[in-house]
Amino acid sequence: MDSMEAETLFRLVKEKYGDKIKEDELEEVKKAVEKIVETSMELRKVELGNWDEPFTVFKPYRRDEE
Amino acid sequence: MNPVYTPLRRLSDSIRSREASPVELAETFLQRLGKHGPALNAVVTLTKERAMKQAKKAEEEIKKGKARGLLHGVPWGGKDLLATAGTPTTWGAAPFKDQVFDYDATVVEKLEDAGAVLLAKLAMIELAGGMGYRQPNASFTGPCATPWSLGHWSGGSSSGSGAAVAAGLVPFAIGSETWGSILSPANNCGVAGLRPTYGRVSRRGAMALSWTLDKLGPLCLTADCCGIVLEAIAGPDPMDQTTSKRLYRYTLKRDGLRVAVPKGVTDGVAESVSKNFDEAMMEVEKFAEVEEIDFPEFPYEAVTRTILNAEAASAFDEFTARGLARGLTAPECRYGPYARTAVLATDYLRALRLRGRMARIAEDVMETFDAVAAPSRATTVPEIDKEFRKATPGTARDIMGALGNGAGLPAISVPSGFDGEGLPTGIQFMGRAYDENAVLSVAVAYQSRTRWHTMHPDRFTQ
Repeated sequence: MDSMEAETLFRLVKEKYGDKIKEDELEEVKKAVEKIVETSMELRKVELGNWDEPFTVFKPYRRDEE
Repeated sequence: MNPVYTPLRRLSDSIRSREASPVELAETFLQRLGKHGPALNAVVTLTKERAMKQAKKAEEEIKKGKARGLLHGVPWGGKDLLATAGTPTTWGAAPFKDQVFDYDATVVEKLEDAGAVLLAKLAMIELAGGMGYRQPNASFTGPCATPWSLGHWSGGSSSGSGAAVAAGLVPFAIGSETWGSILSPANNCGVAGLRPTYGRVSRRGAMALSWTLDKLGPLCLTADCCGIVLEAIAGPDPMDQTTSKRLYRYTLKRDGLRVAVPKGVTDGVAESVSKNFDEAMMEVEKFAEVEEIDFPEFPYEAVTRTILNAEAASAFDEFTARGLARGLTAPECRYGPYARTAVLATDYLRALRLRGRMARIAEDVMETFDAVAAPSRATTVPEIDKEFRKATPGTARDIMGALGNGAGLPAISVPSGFDGEGLPTGIQFMGRAYDENAVLSVAVAYQSRTRWHTMHPDRFTQ
């Protein structure tokens, strides 16, 4: 886990939502951010090619084709 | 005929032959919901007025010879994340306890068209577990118990849907699954729960937790009942662009069934769960060819977890920004949504890109099989008043759940026996995309050789 990335993201969360999180909950939020970074690191270990697209299809919209 | 614990096919026969009356059925099950629902914390709202109106209509139609199919006149209950016009839809969460929509979810409409009778909105984990709950007491209606022991949890997040079917309070229920929310209550309550292929059933009018992971499906007494209900609720919906255009008809394959078992599938699984799974597979071997398979190393859980975290953070962005999580029941849910706003866009997109590979891995490994079998849950049913990790520690990974939900694959959980405390265990059969009939075929064949689904908790059979 990249502790600097986790620390930076935690600071961002605290900056955005700190007024809604109680002091004793901050440690749990920090642990959860660390877990998210750890999970992301697992994803980043897998090599992807430029042509590996998201598995979600975007379709331009026209009402008459609904 | 006693309609309680009567499977749908037989219940339907008795309605069509006019041995049973839809009005009397509605009254019987409403009375049971009122009597037993509170002890289980399984019910949020009884929809009595609507139910009696629908039941009277069904009765009139049947008298006149107008038949709508196997669910005509059959009572049901819906997880309280399905919009129902004019009655509260609480999403299991105190901040939404007075929320009322002016329309019905597509699933509710489809069941009305099938002539089914909606009796109740059923309890669920607050916001379908999307805020990171760690205990059964994560719903404004209280922790929902399994009918097998009021001291143990029903599973979630479709808690009331599992408990109400297992207690004979409704003949069938609708639940939803993002990751585990149909299979878990099916397992803990000892009933059948079917998670359809993503896009098989319209999500319109259902609370969104994760747009690309959410699925709606039935919880019933048997796998056969699940097939009947799925046929009624499946199909394309212009109001949900993710629904598949493939039409669904419930049919069973009788011969040549092939079932795969992932290598090491019981590693780290509780002993009684593992023992019951092994015994269940001995039954499966009597009617299917069974072969061991190996899913290659891949960050299955990281892919699905990242998609879930990012989409849930977005779906509840305003809720989080307004600090409404403070009103949730479980303390961990009050701060749960904040951390997941830290998922980077590039990581979410990376997860979506890896999802394609994951789907192809699933197809490569499963292509020649009707189903992959595994224990439905790695642990025994947790106690109702403890955090899960303390109540049922386990080390097993949930590759089946991550792969199945991440790739949008159908799966069914059916009972596989009981543990030493008399609590149910389950076996799941997961299939290729759109192969609900294959997993149903395996589950129906298994249930034709076992009796677990015919056993019901004493407290509710009297």
